[in-house]
Formats: sequence, structure tokens, C-alpha cells
Amino acid sequence: MTVEPATTSERLLSVPPSAAFWIAIALYGCATIAYLLSFVAGKARAGQAARLLLLAGVIAHSVDIGWRGVEHVHPAASVREALGFLAFVAAGGFLAATWRYKVDLAGVVAAPATLATLAVARLSPVGVQQEGLNSLGRIHIMLAVTGVAMFAIATVLSLLYKLEERSLKAKRFDALTFKHSRTPLESLDQLSHRLVLAGFPIFTVAVITGVIWVGQRGTGFGRPEYPFAIASWLAFATLLIMRLVYGWRGRRSANLTLVGFGASVAVLVIYLLRRSL
Amino acid sequence: MTGPLFVVGLSWRTAPVAVRETLAFRDEELAAAVESLRASPDVAEAVLISTCNRVEVYGVARGDADAAAAAVRAMFARQRGADPAVFAPALYAHAGDGAVRHVFQVASALDSLVLGEAQILGQLKHARASAGGAVGPVLGRWLERAFGVAKRVRTETTIARGAANVSSVAVELAVRVFGELGGKGVLVVGAGKMSTLAARHLRNAGVAELVVTNRSPERATKLADDIDGVARPWDRLEDLLVAADVVVSSTGAREPVLTVPLLKKVAKARRWRPLMIIDIAVPRDADPKIGKIEGVYLFDIDDLEKVVAANLAERAKAAEDAHKIVDAEAAQFAQWLHGQRVVPTIRALRDHFTKVADAEAQKVIEQLRRKEATPDQRDEAVRRLATLLVNKLLHQPQVALKEAAPGEAERLAEAAARLHKLDVAAFHDEPDAAPEAAAVVAAVEPGAGAKAGAR
Repeated sequence: MTVEPATTSERLLSVPPSAAFWIAIALYGCATIAYLLSFVAGKARAGQAARLLLLAGVIAHSVDIGWRGVEHVHPAASVREALGFLAFVAAGGFLAATWRYKVDLAGVVAAPATLATLAVARLSPVGVQQEGLNSLGRIHIMLAVTGVAMFAIATVLSLLYKLEERSLKAKRFDALTFKHSRTPLESLDQLSHRLVLAGFPIFTVAVITGVIWVGQRGTGFGRPEYPFAIASWLAFATLLIMRLVYGWRGRRSANLTLVGFGASVAVLVIYLLRRSL
Repeated sequence: MTGPLFVVGLSWRTAPVAVRETLAFRDEELAAAVESLRASPDVAEAVLISTCNRVEVYGVARGDADAAAAAVRAMFARQRGADPAVFAPALYAHAGDGAVRHVFQVASALDSLVLGEAQILGQLKHARASAGGAVGPVLGRWLERAFGVAKRVRTETTIARGAANVSSVAVELAVRVFGELGGKGVLVVGAGKMSTLAARHLRNAGVAELVVTNRSPERATKLADDIDGVARPWDRLEDLLVAADVVVSSTGAREPVLTVPLLKKVAKARRWRPLMIIDIAVPRDADPKIGKIEGVYLFDIDDLEKVVAANLAERAKAAEDAHKIVDAEAAQFAQWLHGQRVVPTIRALRDHFTKVADAEAQKVIEQLRRKEATPDQRDEAVRRLATLLVNKLLHQPQVALKEAAPGEAERLAEAAARLHKLDVAAFHDEPDAAPEAAAVVAAVEPGAGAKAGAR
């Protein structure tokens, strides 16, 4: 790598966010507040408003990502970009899910999670560009981010499932998670499973491309995040097999989803820490 | 002139069922009862509503509300052949605003045994349809408003939220677990009366299949026929449990039928697909421990009753908001009604003035046509027309004021002053007024003012 492109990429990494980015942040924030209102106060209209706000946020966010693309800042160019992209895919995916399934309540978790991810992405230092970032690396990062975003939505639904199931079993019908959730247990379980089912092949290809990419760079397989990535993959693989073969569902599926997602978050955190320090 | 509105009747609040049933009307008897009321000289419009919780007449009196109420009492005694001594103490009567509010409350199910229930509105609409021509413009508008208020209360408050009976709670819980009930199967274990009711509710909520099983196959077949389901033999209980999604259990067994070992086997065979069990039998059919098995959701009669109680408490809270809506709407309706009472007077007044004005104007026009008039003569004719109109229009009020008895005269004078926004005091304190002007009642003075202005 020559000196000239490096300085160029340094400059590109520090391309400031567009106005659309700040608008997206504001809209995600408003959506979060609206979801909370609809959850705590049970106001259906707040829930509808929240969905529209989130949609507007996703659109603004896509404008920002598009603009950065024009400025030659690829979503996989750095951890910061990748995190922002992850938030975008997760928010968009969640919205798409509310289209067919009554999972609006999950927005209480999804909207603030999107906001937090984006904030972390923004606050994390620019850092240095990923070393040896070739097309394979870009593909790996994009696939990994997309897969994890799908798992993230599945996790939110699993979390909701666990809360709702617990109130139902304990017959606490006045619990907030029960009272204001209009999401049937079966829909939560089914949608979460479908997301894992769709995200798993993407994540699998991401793992494979990752392994090849690390091999190309010759940096060795000793980094601390690699076992977590494998653990995450194993958790989701187990989940799918157990469901297929032994009919595992509900609480057990939800628990495995949480484990798998937790491991992939660990991978991201380690990346982030190393890039930032 | 619209007479006062009235309500006469009894409800679950004032009369036990033994009294209510003496006054209850069947659907086909409603029209005749209302007709016989209309035959009374005291009732202008009327509608009769008869449900298991209330028998009431809403109407518009011709003159006195009390006389109309008496006519209703007489109709009750005549039509039902009931002894007034039995039902009279339970009867209540409201008139005017009280009557309006009462009907609004009834329509909004604020006066119902189960707060916020949905049936009363349909029953009211049915009563209105049965009354036919006995519902005139005022009662028609009154009922129309009542339906509007009911709709507002249902949409703007939470009074109709949450299931208010055990069977609806069962359906609500099933929806919470499964979402859509279409395509789901219900198994009824035991052929008790409660399970029939719950099964019907589930059927109405859209479940695809109803299966009944019972120790006695005859009773199972009978219940299955009743609820449009299929009967299956008792010894296949385990398979039936595996196939079902919702189980409603109400056998008369002394020992639990749905035991932990049985349900563990069933849950595994179902691959832990959710199974909802509603145990409404006492003593209970299900071992409470089966609720701990993965995928099994167990609710007994107490759980359901608790939900009902909580929902009803919520409804009672919402009723406060509903009463505010009723009060506001009743005030608005009172205003409309008030308008209805003066509208005929306003129309007559306008008609009278227009006729006088047209006649006088026609005279002047004819005079002017007959001969060539100079501009001055035309001006004079117009002035004369104005004076003539004032005199003609004021003639009758002047006479009425002068000839009115003491007391009545002051009231009329005050009314005239208010109607025309007159400053009467200014003319009282005018010592220099011309003698004939002072003799004229102050209220007619603006006529003089008009003359002065024309000069």
C-alpha cells in the first residue's frame, strides 16, 4: 500500500456526516420516545406515529449512507461505518417485519437499540482503516453485518417472547409486557425463527469469507474475537438443528438466540475496542 | 310547540327480576304498546324498550310530563295486566334534562349491569325500529344523538375494553398465545354447561375445529351437535390432546383428569407446540403442576374471574370520562331542543312582518305608477311608507302592552325592551318629553326615533 492512498483514506474516514445523518439520529430518537409512550401509556396512536418516525429515520439514514458512498466512504470501510450500517439494516428489517406481523411492541427495544448503535458508531474514534481491505474483506464485513442485524431483530423478538411468556405462565396479566403487547406468542416465536433461518446462511458465508480473508492477510487465527464468532455460529446452528430434529421452540429457541447474538456482539465490541485504542 | 321529554320505567337497579318479568314485552308486542301510548292525549312521541334488564318508555309529552308519565303507567297496567302495586314502587320517572341524560347513559351502557356492554345499543335501535311512526322529529333526533353519544363513549373512552365475562377472557387469552384462531382446534373435555359457553365463544372467534370428548359418549354426541362439533371417544384423550391447540375442560370428575405424566407425554408428542388449557371445572380437572410443563399454559376458573374483575374495575374508571361526554352532549342537546321551541315563533314573526311590508310597499308602488311624481313627491312617499310600516307593526304590541293586566304588563314591557335592546331608563328620566310621547309606553319609542332620522 502506497502512502498516497493511505492519506486519502484517512481523509475519507474523517468525512463528516451529512445533515441527513443528524436528521436520522433525531428521528430515531423521536421514534424511541413514541414507542416508549405507546408501551407505558398504551396509546395506540403513539405506536403508529413511532412506526412512521422510524421509517422516516431509516430513509434519512439511507440518504446519509448513499451520500457517504458518493464520497467514497464504503459501509465496510471502518468499524464506525459498519456499525452505522448494522443499525440501518436492523431498523429497516424491523420495519419490514412489522408489515406482516403484529410485533410493533418490539419497537420499544428496536428503536433505542438502533439509536444506541448509531451513537456508538458516531462516538467511536475514527481509528485507522482496516488493514488489507480488499473486495473479499468488504464482502465479509457486509455479510457479517447483515447477518448480525437479522440476528439482532430475532433477539429483540426472543426477548419479548421470554417476557411475555413469563407473565403468561405466572398469570401476571397486569404486567406491562402483557397488557400493552398485542403480539401473540406464536408470531414472536415464528418470526424470530424465520429471521434466524434467513440470517444463518448469510452469516455462514461471512464466517467462511472471514476465514479466507484472514488466511490471505496471514495475520493468524489467534485473535480473541474469533472464538466468539465461532461460538455465535455454533449457537445458531444448534438452534436450527434442534428445532428441525427435536422440535425445540419457544423459550429454548429464545435462549439460544440470546446466546448466539451475545457472542456476535462480543465480536463487534472487541473489534471496536481494538480499532479505537 | 315541543312538550317536555320524559322517561318512565324500571331497570335492574330498581327492580328484581321477579318484578321486571311482569312488565317485559316480547318483540311482537312492542308496536301495539307504543300505539296505545300514542292514543293517549298526553303523549306526542314514544318508544318502548324491553330487555331482560330494563323496561322503559322514552317520549315527548304533549303538555305536562307528569301526565305523560301517568299515561305510561296506565299503559303498563293495561297491556301487561300487572298489578300496579307490584311494579309501581320500582318505577322511576325523569323529565327534561334528566331524561336526556338518562337515555344517553343507557345507550352508552353506563346504566348497564355489565358496564360498557355492547348489546344495549342494538336493543335500542331495535326498539326504535319497532316504534315506527311513534318516533317523531324530536324523539328521533334524541335517539339519534343517543346513538352518537354511545359511539363517542366507545371510541373515546376505554369503557368497552377488556373481556367482561369468563368465556371472553378465555378467547382473549387464546388470541394472546396463538394470534389468529382460524385453523386452530379446540378440544372440549367433559360436557358441562360452562364448557358449552366457552366453546361457542371460541367458535365465534373463528376456531376451525371443535372436538368433544366425554366419559359418556351419548352426552358427548349431544354437546357436539349443540355446538356444531364432532364427538370422539374418551379413551383417545391423549391423541386428542396432542392434536388440539386449546382445551376447555369441565368434567364432573373428583380426581384430576389432566395429570402431569399425561401432559408431559402430550407436550413431547406435540414437540412443545403451545397448548392452552382452560380448566373451568370445580373440583379442578387439571393438576396445577401441569402449568409448569414447557409449552403448556394452564388457566383455572379463578384466573379467568380475576381478569374479569380487573377489566370491570378498569371500565368503572373509564365510566368517569364517559359521564363527562354524556353531560356535554346532554347540554348540547338541551340547546338544540330549546332552539326547536322558539323556531316556530321566529318563523311566524318573520312571516307577519313580511306580509305587512309587502302590502304597504305594493300600495306605494301603485300610487307612484298612477301619476307622474316629482322627485320630491317620491321622497315623501318613501318616508310615508317607513312611518306607515312602523305604525302598523307597532300597533298590536302597543295595544297588548296598554291593555295587559298589571304584573303581566311589566313582564311584557321588560320582554319588549330585551328583545329590542332598548334603553328604557333614558325615557323614564326625560321630564321635557311631549305629553303624548310620555303617555306612550317607552318600549315603542324607537318609532319616533325612526321618524326623526328620516327627516
